[in-house]
Amino acid sequence: MNRIDSTTGKLRRGITLAFPVCLLAIGLTLVFSQVQRPAALVEVWLPWTEIGILALTMTAVILCGGIDLSVGSMVALCGVVLGITLQWEWPLAVALAATAACGLCAGAFNGGLVAIGMSPLVATLATMAFYRGLAMTLSGGQRFAGFPDSLRNCQTIAGFPLHFFCFVFIALAIWILIHRTRPGRWCYAIGDNRTAARFAAVPDRRLDLFLYTLNGSAAALVATLHAIDENVAIPDAFRGTELQVIACVVVGGTLITGGEGGVLRTLIGIGIVTHLEIGLRFMSYRFPLLTPNSRLVVIGLLVILVAIWNQRLQRGKAST
Amino acid sequence: MVDPEAPPLLQLHRIRRTFPGVVALDQVSFQLQPGEVHALVGENGAGKSTLINVLSGVLQPDEGQIELLGSPVVLPNPVEARRRGIVAVHQESELFPTLSVAENMALESGLPVNKFGLVRWHQVEAAAANAMSQLGPSWHTDTPAAELSVAHRQMAQVAAAIEQQVRVLILDEPTSSLSRREAEWLFSRVQTLKKAGTGIIYISHRQDEIFHLADRITVLRDGQHIWTRPADQVDSSGLVMAMVGRPIQIERTRSDPERPRVASPELPPRLSVKGLQSGQVDSQPVDLQVAPGEIVGLYGLVGSGRTEFAQTLFGITPAVSGTIAVDGVEHTIRHPRDALAAKIAYVPEDRLREGICRHLTVRANLVLSSLRRWTRHGLASLARERQTSAETVQQLAVRHRSIEQPISQLSGGNQQKIVVGRSLLTAPQMLVLDEPTRGVDVGAKNEIHQILRNLADQGHAILMISSELPEVMAHADRIVVFREGRVSGEFDPATASTSDVAEAAFPAVTNQLLDTTAPKTAARGKLGLRVPVAQWGLACVVLLLACWLWTTTKDFDPWLQLTYATVWVILGLAASSVIIAGGIDISIGSLLALSAACAAFVLRLDYAPTLTIPAAILLATVVGMAGGLTNGALSLVGRVHPIVVTLGTMTIYRGLVIMLLGGRPATGLPPLFPRLAIDPQSGFRGAVLATIVLVCVVHIWLQHTRSGRHIFALGSSPTAARLVGISGKRTWLLAFAAGGGLAGLAGALQLAISGQMQSRLGNGWELGAIAVAVIGGVSIQGGRGSVLGVILGALLLRLVTSAIVRLEIPGEQVDLLTGAMILAAVLCDLGWQYLRPRVRFAWSRRISQ
Repeated sequence: MNRIDSTTGKLRRGITLAFPVCLLAIGLTLVFSQVQRPAALVEVWLPWTEIGILALTMTAVILCGGIDLSVGSMVALCGVVLGITLQWEWPLAVALAATAACGLCAGAFNGGLVAIGMSPLVATLATMAFYRGLAMTLSGGQRFAGFPDSLRNCQTIAGFPLHFFCFVFIALAIWILIHRTRPGRWCYAIGDNRTAARFAAVPDRRLDLFLYTLNGSAAALVATLHAIDENVAIPDAFRGTELQVIACVVVGGTLITGGEGGVLRTLIGIGIVTHLEIGLRFMSYRFPLLTPNSRLVVIGLLVILVAIWNQRLQRGKAST
Repeated sequence: MVDPEAPPLLQLHRIRRTFPGVVALDQVSFQLQPGEVHALVGENGAGKSTLINVLSGVLQPDEGQIELLGSPVVLPNPVEARRRGIVAVHQESELFPTLSVAENMALESGLPVNKFGLVRWHQVEAAAANAMSQLGPSWHTDTPAAELSVAHRQMAQVAAAIEQQVRVLILDEPTSSLSRREAEWLFSRVQTLKKAGTGIIYISHRQDEIFHLADRITVLRDGQHIWTRPADQVDSSGLVMAMVGRPIQIERTRSDPERPRVASPELPPRLSVKGLQSGQVDSQPVDLQVAPGEIVGLYGLVGSGRTEFAQTLFGITPAVSGTIAVDGVEHTIRHPRDALAAKIAYVPEDRLREGICRHLTVRANLVLSSLRRWTRHGLASLARERQTSAETVQQLAVRHRSIEQPISQLSGGNQQKIVVGRSLLTAPQMLVLDEPTRGVDVGAKNEIHQILRNLADQGHAILMISSELPEVMAHADRIVVFREGRVSGEFDPATASTSDVAEAAFPAVTNQLLDTTAPKTAARGKLGLRVPVAQWGLACVVLLLACWLWTTTKDFDPWLQLTYATVWVILGLAASSVIIAGGIDISIGSLLALSAACAAFVLRLDYAPTLTIPAAILLATVVGMAGGLTNGALSLVGRVHPIVVTLGTMTIYRGLVIMLLGGRPATGLPPLFPRLAIDPQSGFRGAVLATIVLVCVVHIWLQHTRSGRHIFALGSSPTAARLVGISGKRTWLLAFAAGGGLAGLAGALQLAISGQMQSRLGNGWELGAIAVAVIGGVSIQGGRGSVLGVILGALLLRLVTSAIVRLEIPGEQVDLLTGAMILAAVLCDLGWQYLRPRVRFAWSRRISQ
């Protein structure tokens, strides 16, 4: 009896992993069959490493049974703070510190709202509007351009874009956090059964606060990277980013309700979403119907289907 | 007097019901005569609850037959049982907390409607008022059920059951939270029902009540029928013996009888608790000492305060007064972390809910509380965790295949061993176990007792909470009995008799009389008025803002403001209908645009405007409904929170809009269409008129029809909704369809007002709509809200937007305001929910003084 159970369990896990891998294969074929010069891909990947960094920290939040819809707004807000402080001719280091502090505070505010018992969906939905409004107000709707050269010069390190270093670093750090530390173990326990975790003396509220703050800091990092790369900070940018970020996490196979998943799955998910989007963009030269918007539709569909598929497959029997 | 020869009202034939690993009812037969009060007694876990659940349709028997009035019946659900006149009043009642008492009563038997399908509120009120008039003058039928004390909830349910003139009334511990006066009221009601020929099944632990009321008594023990006798042939001691009187196997797990176990000057207590009191209303100060090497059995019935005591000790519900000392050192315990630091560990009562994370592996569950011990330099070591887990699992003889298998694959007993193992890994000095052998098979039970004994011999102090008398008699060194939140006796199991211990736990005659000084009634007060007060406040703010704008702005046109607010009213109602049902739909902004785009497509067709305009409005509604239905259905199918689904469909609907419009704004609508909304020549405001009509329709639907009330009921409590037979799925879909349809109408209206549309129309409006709903008093948790509030919310949002323009603040700040308004409204709601029980607590103290 037990043996049969665990075999089907393994099978289920196998399927949930095989499905994303197949999607990744489709995405990769799509891209590499279209691209003439693989070196050009580096340029195309850059903006996706930003989404990737956000998806990595979001993985921890979702594993813990939460969600953060305000990431896009936080990135925009941090970008505006960087732009303003540099416009005021603050030293670069101080401006960067202010940006980081802004991300920390915004994230901690989210975490605080969740820790006092607000539903994470509603809390971050409200702060999504709030931070966006703050970004628009601070900037007066203006974009900031022309960052100092000292910042622009960081664009590449040893010939490689700074983005890649940051992405790899964050991926490693989050992997260690989730799979090799106490807070990581707590994440899974809280995502699975918050009450039981509390009875096992897991500090769930503190962890909420920490993870949302981490998410805010990632937003500050992404805002800085974006400013370095594009030489511009737009208060209206990164709308709809939360969908792409959540897509990366969910499509990789992390359960949207928490308790199951991991960093490797998110990395696969990032690969899938990135390459599907890029592949579809390449195809849009031939098929004009594939506008940026309809590509977003594809991602939206994918999120719904995979979320439902995983939920039914992994928790379908167990929840009855 | 009851005639035992008369044909029985209700008869159970050899009912058998098993749960995995346990036979809850074993061939139990039972008979109830009309006009009889039949007491059902037994220890906790004897099968009483299972029997009444079978009777009231909550559970299905595996074998056996139920006969009502001589003919066999099948009771597939509580609704059917209720329809046949069998009503159960449970100890912990499921009510709709946000709905009024009157409506709660009426929903139990289905809301009465007239021939137009409208709820007969007069009848509902009259029935409730009639029932409540028996309870006393301080009762109001419009109080939300959440504001009733537990006692009043039970009284209200009994009153409702009496009003329905049931055939069989099942009362499960009805007096457990009633004061003496309230209990007497209940007894007089029971006598009235008896005279009317109702059969009453009465479950109670209080002997005086049983002997006072019952005609016959049936004793259950371990799921078996022991005997049924007329009440006048039974005496108190005989009853207690029958309940607990199985021969106790004295396979005591004690070892080393020479060892001192009870605290003495030479052996200071390991745990010493003085005057510990939790913040709950009924709690009493508790003193307790446990010596090292001693197993103290904490015996008491469910609800006697023993679990609350243990959880206060462990920091789940922090103490308000008293001290806790371990090995003579005092500790302040405000969180389980503090308890672990003080070397106190706790094994919770409800294994599935509080004990295990069931999708995680055996190892992950085992090391969860003691992770710090297996981390080095902040890094967890899988190897060390595995090694420790393997050792612990072997030590506790857990039957398992691998320590990396999910814990849900283990049997109940082995899961329990893992939970015990988890607390042992924190290296505690003091171990508190709450019902450690509940739902555990016999073999594992003995093993767990042996483990506890070995731990005690190693010098741990152990507090074992149990509601099984044989268990504490056999395995404890000392028995402490809990009753009504305090220690009611202390016994040595070697010398005390079973009935003495039981006597101390079961409330008996004299105590009952002494225990009735303070009525545990909570204040109703004027708190029931808070929703109207909030809305009056909102209305005042709206009026003041409007006056200020009117006097300071030259070209302030109230009609124009009202016209612009109409779209927000309808969109706010769209968001509300979903939120009231307990969901949320963030795709309504896109849905509005999609409906408007479809309407624009029809309007630009080359037909007469008198034909295309109605068709366009109809199409917009249908498209909206279809979109809403899709959202609702997807979240049902996938069992995913609707916000995730609607986050996806939001982009899909937006994509469809862009495809439909081809990226260009839709212009060139027939000029009649905008004129219907605002006619610049005659000043006719069709938009306002249409909105007024629509608002009335929605109001009547939500407030005065069954389906509308079911949406409130579902959002208020899905469990209670299932119990009274409301189809959760259908109501959920209905709420989403209605929300979508309203969003569609808002789209058509917006198209008419602006006379054109762009593909960005409605982008981000879902936030505004949610803000309107939440500001208007719609509870984000569902089950509460009103159309009037939504209208006020929409007006406020519109006026604030105008004020921004008036103050020449750049328009970018609208987002900031919506976000801040949602946050403020939700925070107020949270704060209120936090404060309300405290206000009530303080209030009830003032009254009782």
